[in-house]
Order: sequence, then C-alpha cells, then structure tokens
Amino acid sequence: MRRWGWFAIAVVAIAVLPLVLQDSYWRTNLIVCALNVILAVSLDFVLGYAGQLNLGHAAFYGIGAYASTLLVMGLGVPFWAAFVLGAMLSGIVGMALAIFAARLRGHYLAIASLGFAVIVHQVLLNWISLTQGPLGIYAIKPPPAIALPGLPVVAFGEPANMFYLVAGFALLFYLLLDQLVRSPIGATLAAIREDEVSAASFGIHCTAWKVFAFGLASALAGAAGGFYASFVGTLVPDAFTITESFTVLAMVIVGGMGTLIGPVWGAILLTVLPELFRGFGDFRLVLYGATLTLVVLFMPGGIAQAARILRRRVGSFLEPAQAGFGQ
Amino acid sequence: MTLGESCLPAPPTRHAPPAALLRAQGLHKRFGGVEAVRDISLAVWAGQVLAIIGPNGAGKSTLLNLLSGLYQPDAGEMSFDGVKLVGLPAHKRARLGLARTFQKIRLFRGVSVLDNVIAAFHTRHDIPPWQYVVHAAAFERDRARCREEALRLLAFVGLEQRADLLAASLAYGEQRMLELARALAASPRLLMVDEPAAGLNGAEVERLIDRIRLLQQREMTIIVVEHNMDLVMEIADRVLVMDYGQHLFAGTPGEVQANPAVISAYLGA
Repeated sequence: MRRWGWFAIAVVAIAVLPLVLQDSYWRTNLIVCALNVILAVSLDFVLGYAGQLNLGHAAFYGIGAYASTLLVMGLGVPFWAAFVLGAMLSGIVGMALAIFAARLRGHYLAIASLGFAVIVHQVLLNWISLTQGPLGIYAIKPPPAIALPGLPVVAFGEPANMFYLVAGFALLFYLLLDQLVRSPIGATLAAIREDEVSAASFGIHCTAWKVFAFGLASALAGAAGGFYASFVGTLVPDAFTITESFTVLAMVIVGGMGTLIGPVWGAILLTVLPELFRGFGDFRLVLYGATLTLVVLFMPGGIAQAARILRRRVGSFLEPAQAGFGQ
Repeated sequence: MTLGESCLPAPPTRHAPPAALLRAQGLHKRFGGVEAVRDISLAVWAGQVLAIIGPNGAGKSTLLNLLSGLYQPDAGEMSFDGVKLVGLPAHKRARLGLARTFQKIRLFRGVSVLDNVIAAFHTRHDIPPWQYVVHAAAFERDRARCREEALRLLAFVGLEQRADLLAASLAYGEQRMLELARALAASPRLLMVDEPAAGLNGAEVERLIDRIRLLQQREMTIIVVEHNMDLVMEIADRVLVMDYGQHLFAGTPGEVQANPAVISAYLGA
C-alpha cells in the first residue's frame, strides 16, 4: 500500500521537523503551516470535491477560535471540551449557511458566503461585551499539559509540542477526508459538483449532501480555530477577515483543487514563501503576488497537476491511481 | 434484478400485467403565458415501451420532466406503482425506481466514464456507515461489485474501452450511450429516455435500437421521447402523439402512421 508508505513519511517528517528547525521563529511557522493545512484541506472538501464556491472559510475558523476560548475563559469549560464544542458550533453554523444558501451556486454562493464572512467579522468586532471587540482577548492559555505516569510532562507552551499536537490533528483530519473522498461519498460529491439536476435523478439529495460537506469542513476549520487561539494566546477579530478566506482559497488553488495532497503543499508553500521573501523588504508582497499569478497562469491545476505532469514526463510507474471509488 | 442480468438477453416472455406501473391524469404545466403541457393523461404497463412523439415544442420534454420530478405540475395526478408522485422531488422519485436520460446531455463531465456510472449507484451501496471512514471488508466488497457492474454496463453500451477517460472527452454519440449506461446503473423499474437518438449517425442509431430491444426483452418498462420515427416504429408498443402541449392521438405505431391528424401535424399541412 503506497498510501500508507506516504503516511509513514508524513509521520516521520512531522517528528523530525521541529528537531531540524531549532529556533522558535521557524517552529512557530511550522505550527502556522499545520493550521493552514487543516484550513486548506477542509476548504477543498467543500470547494474542490463538492464544488461549492465558499469564500467564508475564515469565518468558521474565527467562530471556532472565539467559541472555544470564551468557553474556557468565560465559563471555565475544560480545554478539550471547549475545543470540541467550538468545532461543533462552527460546524452547525456551516450547516445553517448551507441550508440558507441551498439554491445558490457558483458566483451567487460566493457572494452569499462572502457576505456571511463579513457579518461574522463585524459581530466579532462589535459585540464588545462578549468578544471585547478590537481590544481583543489576551492571555489565552495553551492546551493543558499532558502528564502520563512514567513519562516527562508534555507542555504545549513549548512550540515543538504544540506543533506535534496540531500537525497530528492535521494528519488525522487529512486521513478522514481522504477516506471519505475515496468512498462512494467522493462520487456523490463529484456528481453534485458536476451537475445537480443529473445527480438528483440518481436519488442524490443535493441539499443534504451540501449541508454535510459544509458542516464537516466548517467543523474542521473551527477545530483549527481552537488551536489557533491557544497557540497565539491572543484573539483579535482582524485575524478572521475575508483576506484570510482568500489566503486559504489561494492555498487550495495553488495546491490543486479536487486533490487533498495539493492543498497541503499549497498551504505549506504559501505559509513559508512570504517568510522566505522577508529579506526582500518592500518587494516581499510583490514577489508573493507574482508567484501566485504565475502559478494560476501556467499551472491552473496547481502543484498537484504539475507533479502529475512531471511524473508522466519522467515516465515513472509510480503514477498514482485517481482518487475515484472505482479505481 | 441485478445489473449484470439486465445486460443479458432473456427469453421474450411478454405479457400485459393488469395494473399500470405509471399513471398520469390531467397533467398541466404552464411557463408564464405558455401552456407547455395541457391535460395530458397516460398509463404505462410494466414491460411496455411507450413512445412520446410530436413536433418541436409540443411539450414532450416538459412532460418527461414532470414525470421525473424536475418540474412539478400545476394540476393533475401521477402515481408510480401506487405511490403518488406529485410533490415528490426528483431524488425521491429516483429511489422509487425512476431513472432518466437528458435531451441536452448532462454527464458528470469532469470525472471518468467509469465514475459517472458509479455515481449513479448512489442509492444501491451496501456499506455500514463507519466503513465510509475505515474501509473494511464490506466496503471492499461493495467497491468490487460496483466496479464490476459498472464495467458490465459500459460493455453493454460498447464503452468498456473508454472507462478511464474523462466523460467530457467522449464523442457525442458515446456520451449519449454513457447517459444510458448511467441511467441503467440506478437499476430502474421505469427508464425514461429523452431523445436518445438525437445527433447520432445511422450506425449509432442501429446500435441504440439494438440495446433498447435487449432491455425490452428483459421486460424493462421504458418511456422514450423521440423524433426519429424509425426508432419509434421499431421499439414502441404504444405511441402518444402530442401537439401544442395537448394530446393529439394515442395508439399502436401502426395506427399512428395511418392517422391523418398526426400526419398533418408532422407535415404542417
């Protein structure tokens, strides 16, 4: 099973990376990478597989972050319970948006979800009694340390441990989505993406499946939000503007929509690239923008497509099977 | 009936069961000021092939869309095997055993030919929910069965060599055949085909007629909307003729050919 070989490589990479990158600046970036991987693969589930142009992904990230933090700090709920509840709330709001927008497709859904993201941002900004608005929430604690008998205490204030935690969940979520899209659910979502009228004629309840896709993707984004808050330690509404939605969208597109591994590389690239370009000072964002434009122009299928073409050129027998249920 | 069997010819034992499988009474459908379907009634018995013919704009496709649930009628009743259809959305009618193809081809263009057929197995998977996440024995069995049946259906329409191509890359006639295979994948009790011969060349029409005949021998109940008179005369048990949304004539293919009203509607005389 080549797939499990890649899984083993991913586990080893996650284990080794914080050891190679010793300084806290890069370790912090590693955590941001892992968070962005969760956001990118979950958005791709809705966008690339179910074909729903969702521009509000950052809003679900924000809902998860604020909900879990407020539950911990306001009501004294234990972190992991708050984390799950935050993800669930985010998922429920995602399902509500999907029900509300059930008849919308393409550009219309994009505008509705964009509007939704603006509303969420404004609520976070202006519901000061709850969220403290632009003042932000400070001194958010990291997830509670794990103390197993006979082993050293694992504290998540330490970036390397936090990275292991977030990356572990990223890997888990990736596997979950990968299993789902390789099951008949993948074919069902593809049918909805390609032609809803036709899909319905085969008994597919399009609204129900869109609600499912939105709910799952939003819950995963909410989970990432819970980690984000406890990792950064402060929450301000401006972390969840529509710009963030577009950044995640760019990760999915650069990586390759409709593949799960593509958005992983997209998330890593678009997290690391701006950091590498820091040396260029004011030209940093110009370079970033130029890279994005070049990718979209010359690799419309993203990194995943480029990798496929490259592998075919090399003439390798390693060509992976398409993710279809039938293969 | 399993899919595999549907591909094999069976002894032609055709008889007319008593109750109609599909019955529609007084269907009306209006789009703005246009009455696309006016007071249409029909009945299809199990194992029968009903052809719906008429000039362009006669309301044939609208009628099919009313039957499949894409549109809801403004007035009238429909029942399928005793179940009332009015108000049921298309996806629920599909679960009752209605399947269809589309006049304007509606394939899942961005996925492979094989996956087009597999997507149509939606209501027929036999997998416990947890195995969607942890793929175990039942999942693998279902996958193997789906793949095997899908390939057999593709062979039935002559597309087995094209299984791994993108649906969008098929030639036009092949796309029509893939629509047929996909509709059969739903294991329908009533198959509705909307102008299956449109845009096909002579050889392709021959092949289509041959396939529909095989389905007929398997006692598949079929409603076919068609312009191609050769095809209609070859396969239909009964013909419903529509004009300006209205019932013009109904009868056997022979009666239709001899009817002066039908001839004048077609020749515009």
